[in-house]
Amino acid sequence: MKFVRYAFCLASALFVLSAPFFLERGTLNDLWNLALAVTLASAWNILGGFAGQVSLGYSAFLGIGAYTTALLSLRGVDPFLTLPLAAVLAALFSVAIGLPAFRLRGPYFTIATIGVGEAVRVCAASVSFTGGSSGLRMPAGSFDFNHNYFSMMILAILTIALAAYVKKSAFGRALAAIRQDIDAAEALGINSTRFKLAAHALSAAVVAVAGSLYAINFQYIAPGSVFDFQLSLNIVLMPIIGGVGTLVGPVLGALIVSTLQIKLLSMPMLRDSFLFIYGGLLIFLMLFEPKGVMGIRDRVIAFFRRIARPRTGSADAA
Amino acid sequence: MPPDALLSVRGVSRRFGGLLALSSIEFDVAPGDVFGIIGPNGAGKTTLFSCLVGALAPSSGEIWFRGKRIDGLPNHAAVKRGIVRTHQIVRPFRAMSVTENVAIAAHFGAGRRRGSDATRRVRDILERTGLASEASSLAGVLTIGQLKRLEIARALATEPQVICLDEVMGGLNPAEIQGAMTLIREIRDSGVTVLMIEHHVHAVVGVSNRILVLNFGQKIAEGSPQAVLNDPAVITAYLGDEAK
Repeated sequence: MKFVRYAFCLASALFVLSAPFFLERGTLNDLWNLALAVTLASAWNILGGFAGQVSLGYSAFLGIGAYTTALLSLRGVDPFLTLPLAAVLAALFSVAIGLPAFRLRGPYFTIATIGVGEAVRVCAASVSFTGGSSGLRMPAGSFDFNHNYFSMMILAILTIALAAYVKKSAFGRALAAIRQDIDAAEALGINSTRFKLAAHALSAAVVAVAGSLYAINFQYIAPGSVFDFQLSLNIVLMPIIGGVGTLVGPVLGALIVSTLQIKLLSMPMLRDSFLFIYGGLLIFLMLFEPKGVMGIRDRVIAFFRRIARPRTGSADAA
Repeated sequence: MPPDALLSVRGVSRRFGGLLALSSIEFDVAPGDVFGIIGPNGAGKTTLFSCLVGALAPSSGEIWFRGKRIDGLPNHAAVKRGIVRTHQIVRPFRAMSVTENVAIAAHFGAGRRRGSDATRRVRDILERTGLASEASSLAGVLTIGQLKRLEIARALATEPQVICLDEVMGGLNPAEIQGAMTLIREIRDSGVTVLMIEHHVHAVVGVSNRILVLNFGQKIAEGSPQAVLNDPAVITAYLGDEAK
């Protein structure tokens, strides 16, 4: 079973990395968008899923990455050299917001992050060096299709690998303890604030690098695109639909949401209806299966196990 | 503070708004003690434990542990110094196995155990607390007796010098209470000093060498079990004025 899983991961990685040799550009663009969604969902899941701290302010990190790259590229720096700085700036910013925000718990933390996200957007729109609300255009010649494609794919693969590593590590177990009962975690010696800050910084850094690649890919950024609240909402929806706190869930959720969006955008009648569909999907999942698609999968497996091994008495207890 | 005290509580008060939950509490715990804390409901016993480990900050007063002040330290830092508490209302990580629950404490507690060292330590503690047969069960499926023992197992896994047991016998049947008393003696014999809140007066008297009695946030008596139980103030607190 484990072997099958590794083989599947390897095959998927090989497929997306070799796709430019046999797929056309339109499809590759779709793949790029899918990889961006997978990256954002998996990175958010490190804090939101593993540690249970639901943040609705992640567009701030995407925007910081995008603006760092755009501003430096306009001053002649190679866009890809700006990625580490974007990651560091976003991580530092995440600590600055995390220090006060992590004093809040549950929905109060979530509401605070909405405020932060919106504040950052308003700031970016009202100061002059960011180009204000009209945004920034990347310098001519800063786009190379292959560089752009491969860097996004590699980022998505590394993000999944990072999430898998974190989940298995002692760090990940501390986050799981914090998610399940923060006071009990503290009572066993876990410095919950420090671990939450670390998870926040790690996922913020990844999202910022995704933001840098976003700027390179779309060549134009504005507060309304990269600091959009709708974007923050999407980042949260994907893992929730797929299955919060799991490794596969965010990937699955990202694929479902992005595919839906691509399909719906191509149908003029339904262009503006995707919010309704997400909303409906979300309500349905919250009511019937809060663990998302992964939860449905677990139920199906449990159902077939019960059929295969009928009434031995202990099966119900287990 | 007396030179032989491991833990010294000096004038500790804790206020919740207008309620004085603890009022200038003073006592000392020597190494090797089993120090019982009794008192009617709402006397401030659990609040006292919360202050000792830093889950709550005292409103005033000082707590000295191993020669250093620990009041005001956050809970996780107090644990790393070697003082830990269990919860009266059990708080397991329900989605984790029993082993994982205990392993987290071994990793992040004062012992900071890693790798095979941690594994050995965890297995040993599960054995001692009678949870070995449930090692791979999810904590969410345990019985209340097992959950109480899991609380103790996790606290022991942090490798404390002082363990504060908050009503670990609540909800247990007589046989389980006997088992818990044996376990507490074994913990003491392994060199860990025990503080215990307990409603089963019989059990506290059976294992403690000193007892502190709280009522309405005040210390009303302290001393050997027999002396405390014969104290008129204690009898009044438990049985009312008529009992005199």
